[in-house]
Amino acid sequence: MIQTIRLGHLLREAVTTPYRNLVTRPTGAAVRGRIERALAESGCRTALLDFSDVDLLDLSCADEIVAKLLLLSAPRPDRYVVLWGLRDDQVEAIDHVLGRQQLAVAALAAEAAVLDVLGAVDGDARAAFGCVAERGPVSAGAVAEGLAWAEGRARAALDMLAARRLVRVAGGAFHPLLVA
Amino acid sequence: MTRIVEIPTSFDDRAMDHYAAAFGSWPAGERLLFDARGTTWVSPYGFVAMLTAAQAVTEARGERPILYLPASEDVRRYWARAGFLRHAAELFEVHGKVPRAASGSSDTLLEVTPVRGSDDVHEVVGRVQEGASRILLEVGLEAKATIGFTMALSEACQNIVEHAGTTGWVAVQAYDWRRRLGTRVVVIAVSDAGIGFRRSLEPTQARRFGDRWSDATALEAAWIQNVSRFRDPGRGQGLAGIKRYLGRWDGKITIRSGTARLANVPAWDREDVPMTEQLPFFPGAQVQVILPALAPK
Repeated sequence: MIQTIRLGHLLREAVTTPYRNLVTRPTGAAVRGRIERALAESGCRTALLDFSDVDLLDLSCADEIVAKLLLLSAPRPDRYVVLWGLRDDQVEAIDHVLGRQQLAVAALAAEAAVLDVLGAVDGDARAAFGCVAERGPVSAGAVAEGLAWAEGRARAALDMLAARRLVRVAGGAFHPLLVA
Repeated sequence: MTRIVEIPTSFDDRAMDHYAAAFGSWPAGERLLFDARGTTWVSPYGFVAMLTAAQAVTEARGERPILYLPASEDVRRYWARAGFLRHAAELFEVHGKVPRAASGSSDTLLEVTPVRGSDDVHEVVGRVQEGASRILLEVGLEAKATIGFTMALSEACQNIVEHAGTTGWVAVQAYDWRRRLGTRVVVIAVSDAGIGFRRSLEPTQARRFGDRWSDATALEAAWIQNVSRFRDPGRGQGLAGIKRYLGRWDGKITIRSGTARLANVPAWDREDVPMTEQLPFFPGAQVQVILPALAPK
């Protein structure tokens, strides 16, 4: 089950402004509080944070919403967060704030067909993430074969992704996070 | 006793130190008279610097300063269009004929606007965004640069809300710098009368710097090391974001606080220097961002 949380809607609840901009730390904190409440009340495994009706996202607000959500209010181990509907400038802002704090999140940009990972992951983890995102549920062996790696290297990268809830492990395979 | 502060004939960031020197000591022990009768031109930086000084006097419970308006009617009209006179009337005893309020000039992308809290930052960003198509058309900025510009504006305004301990001012203007740079530029000026970088960072950074701790080292810590007065690891993003944006679009920033001024000097600026110390004191912090429409030759 997937829960979609529309950030534009939460913004309108949190701030009395006619604009659709996620700017300032107080605004980010108010929106994050609403996200946390929605996550707490939901039984869904995956939460899609939908940025599609947001215009500007500044760095301070990206930090308050995304970085602090990952740092301070990490969902239960069986819960996953995916960012959805991001524009290029929003991707850049989130990637920047997460990278500075060694955090990472899965995201689907507005024009993209497959998931990407934003923030701080090493090259192996990024390549393994891409392999899982493109092929669907795969074993460590299949990732190793696809990337021409030793299996131990693929497993280490996939275990790291799983530990950071960027892929889901079930039935011995590594699954991309569902967005639909 | 009254101390006369002569407003420079042409008042932009380059005239700031001359302007700051006219105050003597802070807080001013005498009533201040801002004499702008001979002033012919003021940049956004000049406007917010005048309001900041008057605000600092007000907050120090000094006597309401006097402002003599420019002798030129055209200049006074421009001051009205830029939104300066509306706010000046709240802080100064204004002498001279005040023109009726008029709508902003075509070069004014954001009139002089107070920044008092998070809601004001939303308003500033929203209004500049509404004018984004004008920025694109009239200044020639690329769409991506305009988004980054608005983000930089948001972060610069938030520095006031988060760190100054008081309110501040912002103004945005477009200029034709064809002779100086061969292109048009957009200028953001942000100023507050608050505690400044040194006092803001003192509790967390002063010990690390020891005897070297000063306005200049505080500016370096904020700009180069992205430190913040908050221990939260996510802090310091604002200036880091502005730095990244300016690097990409060949922009320039100057930050003046207390007695020091830091500048990131792009290749097109052959006059400025990265750090200037022992300047005449001026309260709070003053930030100016200059963004060329096209990469200058």
